[in-house]
Parts: sequence; C-alpha cells; structure tokens
Amino acid sequence: MQDKQFMRETLVDGAKAFKEGRLNRRGFLTLCAMTGFASAASFPGGAEAAADYIVMWNWGGQSEECHGGAIGKPHEAAGGLPLRFDTSGPLQGKIKEMVDSGNVTADVCDADLFDAVALGPTGHLEPIDYNVVSKDKTLPNYALEHGVSIILYGYAFVYDTEAYGDNPPNSWADFFDTAKFPGKRSLYKWANGSLEAALMADGVDKDALYPLDMDRALNKIKGMKNDSLYWGSGAEAHSMCVNGEVSMGMVWQNRGRNIEEDTEGRYKLVMNQALAMPGAYIVPKGNPAGREEIMKFIAQAQDPDAQLQLLDCLGMTPSNPAAFDNIPEGQQPYAITSAMNIDGVAFNDPTWWGENGGDAVNAFLEAIS
Amino acid sequence: MNAIRKSLHPGWLLVAPFLLLVIALYLGPILNILWLSVTDPEPGMGNYRKLFVSDSLLRIFWTTIRICLITTVGSVLLGYSIAYAMVHCHQKQKSYMLTLLLVSFWISILVRTFSWLMLLGHRGLVNNALEGMGVISEPIAFMRNELGVLIGMIHYMIPYAVLPLLVNMQSLDMRVMDASRNLGASGQQTFMRVYLPLTLPGIVASSLLIFILSLGFYVTPAVLGGGKVLMIAEYISVQLLVTLKWGTAAMLAGLMLFGVLAMLYIMSRFMKLSAVFGGSA
Amino acid sequence: MFEANSDKGSLQVRNVSKYFGTFCAVDGIDLEIQRGEFLTLLGPSGSGKTTLLMMIAGFLDITTGDIALDGNSISDVPAEKRNFGMVFQGYALFPHMTVRENVGYALSVRKRPESEIREKVNEMLDLVQLTEFADRKPGQLSGGQQQRVALARALCFEPPVLLLDEPLGALDKKLRVEVQDQLKDIHRRVGTTFIYVTHDQEEALSMSDRIVIMRDGAVEQVGTPYELYEKPINEFAAGFLGKSNFLHRSDGVYALRPEKIDIRPSGTGEGEPRLSGTIQSITYFGSMQRIMFLTTDGEELEVDIDSWRNRDPLAEGQSADLFWDKGAAVKLEE
Repeated sequence: MQDKQFMRETLVDGAKAFKEGRLNRRGFLTLCAMTGFASAASFPGGAEAAADYIVMWNWGGQSEECHGGAIGKPHEAAGGLPLRFDTSGPLQGKIKEMVDSGNVTADVCDADLFDAVALGPTGHLEPIDYNVVSKDKTLPNYALEHGVSIILYGYAFVYDTEAYGDNPPNSWADFFDTAKFPGKRSLYKWANGSLEAALMADGVDKDALYPLDMDRALNKIKGMKNDSLYWGSGAEAHSMCVNGEVSMGMVWQNRGRNIEEDTEGRYKLVMNQALAMPGAYIVPKGNPAGREEIMKFIAQAQDPDAQLQLLDCLGMTPSNPAAFDNIPEGQQPYAITSAMNIDGVAFNDPTWWGENGGDAVNAFLEAIS
Repeated sequence: MNAIRKSLHPGWLLVAPFLLLVIALYLGPILNILWLSVTDPEPGMGNYRKLFVSDSLLRIFWTTIRICLITTVGSVLLGYSIAYAMVHCHQKQKSYMLTLLLVSFWISILVRTFSWLMLLGHRGLVNNALEGMGVISEPIAFMRNELGVLIGMIHYMIPYAVLPLLVNMQSLDMRVMDASRNLGASGQQTFMRVYLPLTLPGIVASSLLIFILSLGFYVTPAVLGGGKVLMIAEYISVQLLVTLKWGTAAMLAGLMLFGVLAMLYIMSRFMKLSAVFGGSA
Repeated sequence: MFEANSDKGSLQVRNVSKYFGTFCAVDGIDLEIQRGEFLTLLGPSGSGKTTLLMMIAGFLDITTGDIALDGNSISDVPAEKRNFGMVFQGYALFPHMTVRENVGYALSVRKRPESEIREKVNEMLDLVQLTEFADRKPGQLSGGQQQRVALARALCFEPPVLLLDEPLGALDKKLRVEVQDQLKDIHRRVGTTFIYVTHDQEEALSMSDRIVIMRDGAVEQVGTPYELYEKPINEFAAGFLGKSNFLHRSDGVYALRPEKIDIRPSGTGEGEPRLSGTIQSITYFGSMQRIMFLTTDGEELEVDIDSWRNRDPLAEGQSADLFWDKGAAVKLEE
C-alpha cells in the first residue's frame, strides 16, 4: 500500500508541475505511463483543488437548499467560506478511496456516526476538535473522536389501517407476527434497523440490544423471509407502501409522514420502539478547506436554530438537547427526540456498527437472498 | 536482436508507444485488483478460502449464473424472432423497427426498470386491468422476485441480442434458402438445416455478449428483485462501498474476469471467434 | 447407370406475364419445351429471362397465364413441391455442409434411407468427377468445382426438369468453354430437360437444342442455333446472335454475316461483284482477319476472312470488290 501511495503522490505532484508549466505535456504523459494509472486523466483536476469554499458531500435532493439555508448561510455570514455540494453520496468505500488516492475534494460528509468508527482508526478521517465543537450540543454517546451527530433519523414502521383497523400493531413484536397480523412486510436491505427490530420483536429490551445477537436476529428475519420484501432506497420503501404491496413497512420515520399524506391516512406511522440513528458530520483526512475552517462549520451546524430548520426542511430530528423543547407541534409525532416519542425510542450504538457493520451487512444480505 | 528486428514489421515500432500505454493502462488496474485480492485485509489466500468456507458466496454465484443463463436464452430467443422479422419485412417497416430498437437503447436503465413496476407491479396497469375484468382476485406477483428480475433483464438485453443477429442474418445469401426449397425442403426443414446453422455465429455472438453483460447487472436485480435476488455484481459493489471488504470484492471480480476469459477460450476451441465477431469467416 | 425421367419433363408456358407493380417484366410468353430438350433463354440483362426462369421454378408468382408440366398445371404448386432441379447463379451451395451433404440434401430432406443416399451421391460425384472432394466444404473448392457440386446437387433427386441460371457466369473464359462441354455431355447422359438462362451467345450456340431470344420481356425468335444464325428474323436477333451487316435496300433490310462475304482486289474476282469500294482497315486475329470496308455508295461493311485464304495480301486503302452467294443475305421482317 505504501508503494501505491507513493506513486499516486508522484502523479499528483507531476500534475501540479504540469499545471504550473514546469513539465511539458510529453513528460507528464510519460510519468503517467510509468506509474501506470488509468485514472491519470482525473489528476489535473485534483491539482487545482483550492480552498475557496467548503464542499459538503451528501446525497443531494432537497438537502442542498436545506443545508445551504440552515448552516451555509449563517456560517458565511460569520466570516466563513461559502458552501458547495457534491451530491454523489459519501459511502464508506468512496471516502476511503478518496483519502487513499490523495485526491481529497470534500470537506465534510453528511454520513452516519458509525462511519466515523469504521474509518477513523484507519486514518481516513480528521479528528473532531472539541475545543470548537461542543460535546454538550448533542446526545451524550454521540460525540465521538472522529465524528459528531448533528441530526437523528430513525427506523419506524407504517401499517395499513384498513387491514388492521380495530386492533392496530404497536411494536416490532406485532410487526414480525404474521399470524396475528397477516400480510406482507418490507424491511431495510442494508441490515440497519432491521436487525434491531428483529431482536426487539424477539423480546430483547430496547436498551440492551448491543452487542447484537446476530444469530438470533437473523433467525427472526429468516422466519419472515417468505412474507418480506427488502428496500434499498427511501423511494422504494415509499412505493411499496403507497402501492399496497405491503401491509406493514419499515420506513425512515420522516418518510412515514409522506406516506401518511400520500395514502390519505390509510397508512399510519408507529414510533414506538423506533430505532434512532445518529447522522453525523465526518471530515476526510486532509480536507481542502482545512481542519480549522471545517470545525467552525460543524459548530455552526450544532446551533439549535440550524437544527430546527433542518427539521422543518427535511424532517431530520435535532440531536442538540437545547432544541428538543422547541420542536413545533406539527412535527412532534414524527420527531425522534420530541417529548412524546423520546422515551419509547431505541438508540443505535455507532461503535458496535462501526466495528461489526461490514460483517453484519454481509450476514444479513446472505440471509435474505 | 537481429532476428527480432527481422520478424518485427517496422509498423510495430510506430504503434509501440501507444501499445505499451494501452497495455499499462489495462493491465495495471487488473494486476492491482489481483494484488488486492491476496493482500487485503492481510496477505495470503484468505479471500479465496472464503469460497470454500462460505456456502452463501456459492449461492450468490449460482443465483448469478442461473439468472444470466435464463436471461441469455430468453433474450436471444426473442431477439432472434425480432431480427428475423426485421430482415424479412419491407424496408419501411424495418426502419421503423430499427428506430424503436435504438430508442430503447437510449432510455436509461433506471427508467426502463421502473416502467416495469408501473406496468406489472402490485398496483400496475396489468394487475389493475385483470382485477377490473374479474380475472384475478389478488394481484399477481410479477415483480419483486426472480421473475421480475428476469423480465427486466431480458427486456433490457433484447436490443443487444438483435443487433449481432441482424448483422449475421443480413449477410446471408438468401439464394441458399431458395436452393433448399428448390431441393424439396419444407420451410421448417430449411430453417432447421440451413438457416439456423448459418445464423449460429450470430447466436453465439449475442449469447456471449448478453451473458457477459448480464454478469455485471445490479440495478435491475436490486429494484425488481425486492431485495431477495442478490447477484454477484451488487455483492461486489456492497463489499467495495459499504462493508469495505475490498479484498473480497477484488477476489470476486478477479474470478468473474477469469471466468469470462475461460468461457471465451472454451468457445474458441469450438468455433472461430473471428466468425462470431464479424471478421471474415 | 443414370435413369432419366424419360417419360416426364415436357413443359408448357402459356401466355405467361409478370408485373412488378406497373412494370411489365415478362409479357405474354408462350413456349412448348420438349422433354429431354436443352433449351436456352438468351437475352441481355433486363430481358425477363431470369424472371421467367424463377416463375418456372416457383420462386415468383405468375401474374397471368399458366405453366404446366406434362400438361398438368403447376402454377399453384409451391417451389419445394415442383421437384425441379436448379443451378443458381453463384451456385448457392450450403457453406456449412460438405460436398457429400450438399449433393445428398434433396434425398435427405425426402427422408430416403442412408444407404440409398450414399449410393446415389457417389454416383453423382462420379458423374461430375468430384469423388475425391466429397468431404470438403464448398469454401475449399475452386469455382469450377463448386459449379459441378451445384449441378450434382440439382440432379441428385432425378428431377424431370433442370433449371440453370447463368451457371457459368462466375467462371473465367477458358474454364467456361471446358465446362460447356461437360455440361452438354451430362445433358446427353441424363436426358433431363435443361432450361438454361444466359446472356452469352457462344454458350447458347454451342450447347442448346433450341434457343429463345428474349427482349423487353417478350420472345423475339425461337429456333435451333442453326435456324437462328442462318435465318434471323429481325435486326435484334441477327445482331444479338453473332455479328451482322445490315444492308438497306429499296425492298427492305437484309442481314449479311461478315464471314459469308468474299473480298478480292478490284477486278480479280469471278463474275459481277456485289459491291465495290475501298478497304478502310484490317485487324489481324490469327486464324482470321477483320476488314472494315467502305463502298462507293458510302455503306460501311465488316468482312471476316480466314487468314489462310488471304493468299495475296490485301492492304489498307486498296480498292476491292465484295462477293457473296445467293441467299447469304437474309431479308428481315419489318
């Protein structure tokens, strides 16, 4: 790995020299050929990465205007760099590849907190500077060395009120009980939430989930396999419910609200035993805007007003306790940390997922396929 | 040295730098992948040992091969009929058909995949119509299962099946078919004994193309399979992007590469590949 | 050894026409073809000869009229049921089959026993002298050999009629003459009715029992090679089959073959010369010489003389007289 790293750096240096005119074109191509990299063509772009703005790496959609308005604008007003977006989705593998290639083009990733645990120790992330960022402005377990939770999202479920009108399901135990509640189910394909839900259904206390008993969870999942579909994107989860393909579906809780609206109330969200997931900001090692600048940006994102704006805009729940009491009434049934929901919620353990997530996802995929 | 100079055409010297560049750019990444498969996460054959330890990997392989084979057979059969119709209809109808075929090439795979959900999904047009007519009481599960994956993949692959077959059929001397009829063969006999053997190179070319393309599919299985149809390409992408098991991914990618190469080699033992890929027979 | 269908093979073409849209490719043709006859359809491209052959073979529907075999109409019989052998232009051999499989194809699709097919194929290969090539593919054979395979394939099931569509077109000149002899020989031996399409007058003259000269979808003249050559009925027939001088006289046009003219230096011939004039040019072709002659009346004539007869050589620019026998100049129809 060291050798490869060296060669990539040689190329990046070469690309910089080429841009500055120190190396003629033939010399540059020879260098590319010598080091033997197919991606040589993309390096000149890397060579011009300049810190005139902050690049947030996220999943696109509405989050651009929402993050721009809630965090980017106030940060710029306070003298920070303007905010731009790379919407290609910061999957762990892509972050790792970006840092390994030495061509880091993103400053902050809108990722999961368990990504911080998976990528931090291998040197792919900048540590969070808790002199700038506050540990008190998030939930106690969600300020980790290489990432801090800004918002929470969660796995809850919706059910078809016409199918179970008089005796509605209210727990994961009901969700997994196809005898008592006949019909199809949908679960998340990448194991998160699905495993925890299975364990809660099997009688594990919501506060004693971790470390996950994989065999027990997978047995529960397999027991319902013939009645289950699995979704990989929010849109898919949405359509499975709206099209009536399933009578109960695990969904991201903020999607639950859309489903209730789109089915005119036929499908109803159950927040009891929802699994809270800490969404986190993590910083690729060697980010172009610099560590100091990006820490100020993250601190800005901890501001209760910014978090409430994100709630309003995206349905993401604040993780800063100072914002909990200010959640608007209309959002309270769907927000994870609202007074009416917070006691029934199970909290994800990012450390367990960071360390065991890869194996867990594979085991889950193998169980459902 | 002299011997080499004599046996090498001077033209090679002209293209040599580019040849070396191409070799480096192709072989480099491939060697990199193979290297990764024996070094990540730790040096050794651990990644390959997984093949023998984990029956789930074998199951994924088997699922992939089964789906690819059925897709190949299905799309070549349908593609053969379409190509045959195109070759034997009037020029005007033929250009209509060719346009339709090419249009479907330009539509993104995501759009085509989701269109099937609209058409054959739980609340899709077909199920709604059948229910409306009272033919069925419960929607038929066309989608979110292996059948759905096969429908989606075959549909996507048909143009790839048609084009090599079309080229093959157009190059045939139709007088040979006349000769067969003149010698007393029925239409069916002419097809089985003359037309089919003469279009065999096209069939092989289409089949190879589709089988190899199918191996790399994962959008369609992911969307139409309801999460239950896990093919090797999707599994590799998960290992790369989500679970960070790059060694496993590299091992599987390497196996696929060599599997395809082995297949081409075996095919080349049975027939001239140049005939299959449109070179002079 | 080879049993021809000696009782079958006469063909009647009655007022047959073929229209492609509004274009008339064949225009009301009547023909009586005797069994065992070698009949040639001769004409320039576009004369309708191939179209007529394809209608006889059954690959093209006839627009009006009727075609009958031994008196029984076959107009509605599909090609594969007509049992006519055919040698295609370019041969149309099955490239994926060996010579043996090609030749045996007609018997094989008729589900004849293996042993019978084998025997018959051997006989055919012997007939066309290709026994040693039986296991080769057509791609490994020369043009002439392929042509013989096509012939053997078409004859193997003993068809009453064999149709040949410019079968020698792809061969070079020298080979063509050789194959003409073989073809004629095979025709003699099998006794099958041959209907032969060509635009080559030499082929037509050397092989045919009768020739049909066609132009613009219609028949110009039918007859034996001798009749057609000696007694052409119009300028087209005279010009297309061999060469001809056309003499315009007050009572009509006369066709005069160049080799029927004798040429002598002025005043040395016996009797009254038919025409007098000067020699414009002499072209030497070895066995014969071609002389372009201009009469005192300004008529241009071509005269072919055997070289050996030109004992006292004529020279260009010399005055000369022309002689020919009575009846050598044929009066043409209007």
